[in-house]
Amino acid sequence: MSLTRREFLKWSGTAGAAAAAMCLGFDLRPVSSYAADLKILKAKETTSICPYCAVGCGLIVHTKKSGKLLNAEGDPDHPINEGALCAKGAALYQMTVNKNRMKNPLYRAPESDEWEEIEWDEAIEKIAKRIKETRDATFTEKNAKGQMVNRTTGIAHVGSAALDNEECWLLQGIMRAMGLVYIEHQARI
Amino acid sequence: MTNHWIDIRNSDCILIMGSNAAENHPISMKWVEKAMDKGATLISVDPRFTRTSSKADIYTALRSGTDIPFLGGMMNYILSNNKFHKEYAANYTNASFIVGSKFDFKDGLFTGYDPKKKKYDKSQWAFEKDGNGVPKRDLSLKDPRCVFQLMKKHYSRYTPKTVSAITGTPEADLKKVWETYAETGAVDKTGTIMYAMGWTQHTVGVQNIRMMAMIQLMLGNMGRAGGGVNALRGESNVQGSTDHCLLFHILPGYMATPSTKLPKLADYLKRRAKSNDPLSANWWQNEPKYMVSFLKSMFGEAATADNDFGYDWMPKLDAGKTYSWLDIFDDMYKGNFKGFFAWGQNPACSGANSNKTRQALGKLDWMVNVNIFDNETASFWKGPGMKPDEIKTEVFFLPCYTSVEKEGSITNSGRWMQWRYAAAKPPRGTMGDGEIMVKLFEKVRELYESDGKFPEPIKNFRWDFVKDGKFDSHAVAKLVNGYFEKDATVKGKSFKKGTLVPSFAYLLTDGSTSSGNWLYCNSYTEKGNMAARRGKKDPTGMGLYPEWSWCWPVNRRIIYNRASVDLNGKPWSPDKNILEYKDGKWVGDVPDGGWPPMTNKEKTKRPFIMKPDGVGSVFGPGRADGPFPEHYEPLECPVPKNLMSSQRINPVAPVYGTEADAHFSCDPRFPFVGTTYRVTEHWQTGILTRWQPWLLELQPQLFVEMSNELGKLKGINNGDKCKVSSARGEVEAVAIVTGRFKPFKVQGTTVHQIGLPWCFGWIYPKDGGDSANLLTASTGDPNTRIPETKAFMVNVEKLGKRRA
Amino acid sequence: MAGKFFFIDTTRCTACRGCQTACKQYKKHGVTKTKQYGTYQNPPDLDGNTFRLVRFSEHPAKVNSMAWYFFTEACRHCLKPACKKKADQILKDAIIVKDYGAVLFSKKTKDLEKSFKAIKQACPWSIPTWSKDEKQIVKCNMCYDRVEAGLFPACAKACPTGALNFGDEAEIKKLANERLKAAKKKFDGRGEILDLEDVRALYLITDVQAKYRPVA
Repeated sequence: MSLTRREFLKWSGTAGAAAAAMCLGFDLRPVSSYAADLKILKAKETTSICPYCAVGCGLIVHTKKSGKLLNAEGDPDHPINEGALCAKGAALYQMTVNKNRMKNPLYRAPESDEWEEIEWDEAIEKIAKRIKETRDATFTEKNAKGQMVNRTTGIAHVGSAALDNEECWLLQGIMRAMGLVYIEHQARI
Repeated sequence: MTNHWIDIRNSDCILIMGSNAAENHPISMKWVEKAMDKGATLISVDPRFTRTSSKADIYTALRSGTDIPFLGGMMNYILSNNKFHKEYAANYTNASFIVGSKFDFKDGLFTGYDPKKKKYDKSQWAFEKDGNGVPKRDLSLKDPRCVFQLMKKHYSRYTPKTVSAITGTPEADLKKVWETYAETGAVDKTGTIMYAMGWTQHTVGVQNIRMMAMIQLMLGNMGRAGGGVNALRGESNVQGSTDHCLLFHILPGYMATPSTKLPKLADYLKRRAKSNDPLSANWWQNEPKYMVSFLKSMFGEAATADNDFGYDWMPKLDAGKTYSWLDIFDDMYKGNFKGFFAWGQNPACSGANSNKTRQALGKLDWMVNVNIFDNETASFWKGPGMKPDEIKTEVFFLPCYTSVEKEGSITNSGRWMQWRYAAAKPPRGTMGDGEIMVKLFEKVRELYESDGKFPEPIKNFRWDFVKDGKFDSHAVAKLVNGYFEKDATVKGKSFKKGTLVPSFAYLLTDGSTSSGNWLYCNSYTEKGNMAARRGKKDPTGMGLYPEWSWCWPVNRRIIYNRASVDLNGKPWSPDKNILEYKDGKWVGDVPDGGWPPMTNKEKTKRPFIMKPDGVGSVFGPGRADGPFPEHYEPLECPVPKNLMSSQRINPVAPVYGTEADAHFSCDPRFPFVGTTYRVTEHWQTGILTRWQPWLLELQPQLFVEMSNELGKLKGINNGDKCKVSSARGEVEAVAIVTGRFKPFKVQGTTVHQIGLPWCFGWIYPKDGGDSANLLTASTGDPNTRIPETKAFMVNVEKLGKRRA
Repeated sequence: MAGKFFFIDTTRCTACRGCQTACKQYKKHGVTKTKQYGTYQNPPDLDGNTFRLVRFSEHPAKVNSMAWYFFTEACRHCLKPACKKKADQILKDAIIVKDYGAVLFSKKTKDLEKSFKAIKQACPWSIPTWSKDEKQIVKCNMCYDRVEAGLFPACAKACPTGALNFGDEAEIKKLANERLKAAKKKFDGRGEILDLEDVRALYLITDVQAKYRPVA
């Protein structure tokens, strides 16, 4: 869902009342000549939830038509944070717009001392082949006691509490379908 | 959390212990301060004076690893001074239950201990039952074999003097905290606990939390506004990822992973204990519906009654063996794995004993790391002390989207499932995690089309929610909620095939329904995507916001809320009315089952519906290390003996035996207690935040905090560069010499403690220092196997004056 | 537009530094290369990239044996700004004051490099900074673009606990008085509002001023 600019302004106005004594007494006056500088007024607004701790603060994310991220700040309508954010949440923009981000799959060959770039299709194909080779080589239909176990103990998986629920469900599904039993993540540490 | 963030404002007393809310859950302080505005008292108990402590009415310190004595002393105070909520304790907890004659406790051990196996025979802790198989009770709590009396005896040993000698907390401070918190035992008052990894990351982690849960039950604080047991979860979706069970021992919705103990579906479906008590709802008796519906979500049309809905296709554990995080890295270190996925994780910094973890990664054939930034796991082979030409591990690094570039839901600590939308266009060359999963699995399935071992689960894994190879979070969310797989009539209502199931009450065992996770059944229904709701109505005025997003189970905002009312269904505190029985129905929050109040003896059920007996477990006979929490020292500790018994450490704690698992107690080389924590400005290992200039500017380098007294003793000044070492590793850190740490008086001697954040790593920034987990030990809690990273032994030495 | 004020209740601040970071985020400021030097406070002081800074200071105390004070600092937007008085002597209206009170350093301050030190010294809190990147004098501009569009300054909007407030004069002063009363009750009669008659950023403190920030 995306919100219109008008709604965003309205929210900001009500934030003062809802957040009682945080930000007070605003007359919404017409946009002045200075507000021409205000990029976020022309931006598309999308609601999101902060990806850090599990308080679950609401965010408003401002983007250009091109999809370029402009700004991210607290969602004043969200009942938990009422527009507020801590240092991490306030810096959210920089997780996405960041020159340090990795933008290509990488491959490190055995005994190599460097990364090499690899195409997505090739990476996926190679990983799938490793899975199959390992699974077929280590698959256990029956354990030492002769009990049926139908599992793969040659592969372990960890992660992740940073994924969306839908990804978490799918991930546990495909890992279990492939026979993994060593499945863990952040909740264990 | 049994409650939720906004509910903190309803509390009369907030204990923040085993967490540092102001630094790690900063926005929670909004609600803490709202409670304080209305007169609530904030208590901060932490080895170190933190940003949380700076706002506390009462602050006191304890030595890391001594929470059970601190709280055991509180229990002793509550019971011996009659501060508990009697009617609540008698009716809503197992305090009145009679414990079987085999149960006893002597010198740190409960009955049934097998020293060879380091295991208890828990059957010796069972309750006495009457002719109908219902546990015997004494509501007067006077029977010498009732839980209340046994508990009173057990904690009478935790006197202020003994507790102080263990924890290092002055007796006057202990009394102040105990008295203040115990006031919430008054019928109309509630107190809450905010805890986190400061309690879980110990060899007695589960019992730390149980100890507090027992206090909350005895004070009548469970199920009530401003009360509860509230785990402050540290990752945006660690609640959801746990609910969906990316964990070895459970399937989505907290159902046991199939094991050799449950070889057939029939065994699985009858595994839950029956309750003969007509007053117990024993909710888990519904598990068969949830399990069969889960299998239908996994295998769709291929799952039929004839093939046990594909139960044999589910991989099975060896009964009794653990496959946990610590086991993974122990096995990996021994070379027992070929392949490894670290998906959205950085185990080279996040797990205990990082040197062991990093060595282990070098023994793999191949590894896949999915992440936004480069990290110490993906690049482990070029880390400190590594020789790339000797490391054969093939590594694939897959760059993924950030949270604002994809659409889906996450579940916060208060169990609110909140939908978020794709806002920004992801950079070219990256891919969403969901897309990666879809592409990878489709490729694997393609490879299994011609040949391969046991291809059925791969071939039959349900895939109708994927269209044209695209990941669709709405389609998965619907599958997680569940569908009617054929036309069916349930509870007098007819449903067409393909209809979304309205709630888990409609799930069936015959295969006519699917549900990927019964706890989330009701989250995405024919009424729409509940997680996306933005309604701001608050009919109770208590901050429940029932139309904002959605919360499990069935939008119940406070779990066990029928314990918030008396036997007549009236709230214990009228000014904290979240639920009330009025004119024959419940008004307020979604009740924990709709049965009438306890005075209606014909139709009522007890409020703790997930427990087999319907009551809160003050006595916990299911735990690996005993039904009552008992103090044991951490695996590495500064004292030669445990003042409570001759069992120095938890007798059932797992200990690993590789050469990377050295540990020493009372060793002059490692004389100081060490602990780890986080800072507001970085997140977990820092792998998302260290790369962000704004956040790195705020916290640029690893530091070690120590007292002025220890600084003086070691000739270390504020800002000096230091080396911190343990039996397992060492790090360089800048000293913060501060009055916020103080030496402890423990067993008549002075014990110093230091602490470091674990958010740094060698990969970036280059002058930032490495992970504090290089110091921590791979041992953990016997119930959960969460590692003991909060208490270990270290040394600290000055490395020379820091250049300005 | 009515006169705008900040009110900073130091008794409520938890040093989450949402304000300091929200300021940078909204303005897309760069950073200063920092080092850990024995405190959580970073950067060490306000600078060309940092218009708002949370200062950390620890002191022994009677209650709980320790006090850790957090003091979010930026330009106070004085009612009679000494910086402007000084600058006007050299270059008229390089520093301007909006009708609602925002004190703004215009691009004209690019021509004040030589006088920068005198202008900084004129400020009782040494707030103005010479920005090497922009080659002008800089400091907090009250997010005038947001304020004029009816939005809160980025810093005040980010504050979770009500430590940093922003609004119209009457309401802010009313709030400050209420909070002062509450603080005095809680802290044994201690509590004062700093510079009530002189600035648009009112601070409530409960201890000696010098314990919160270095005295200029």
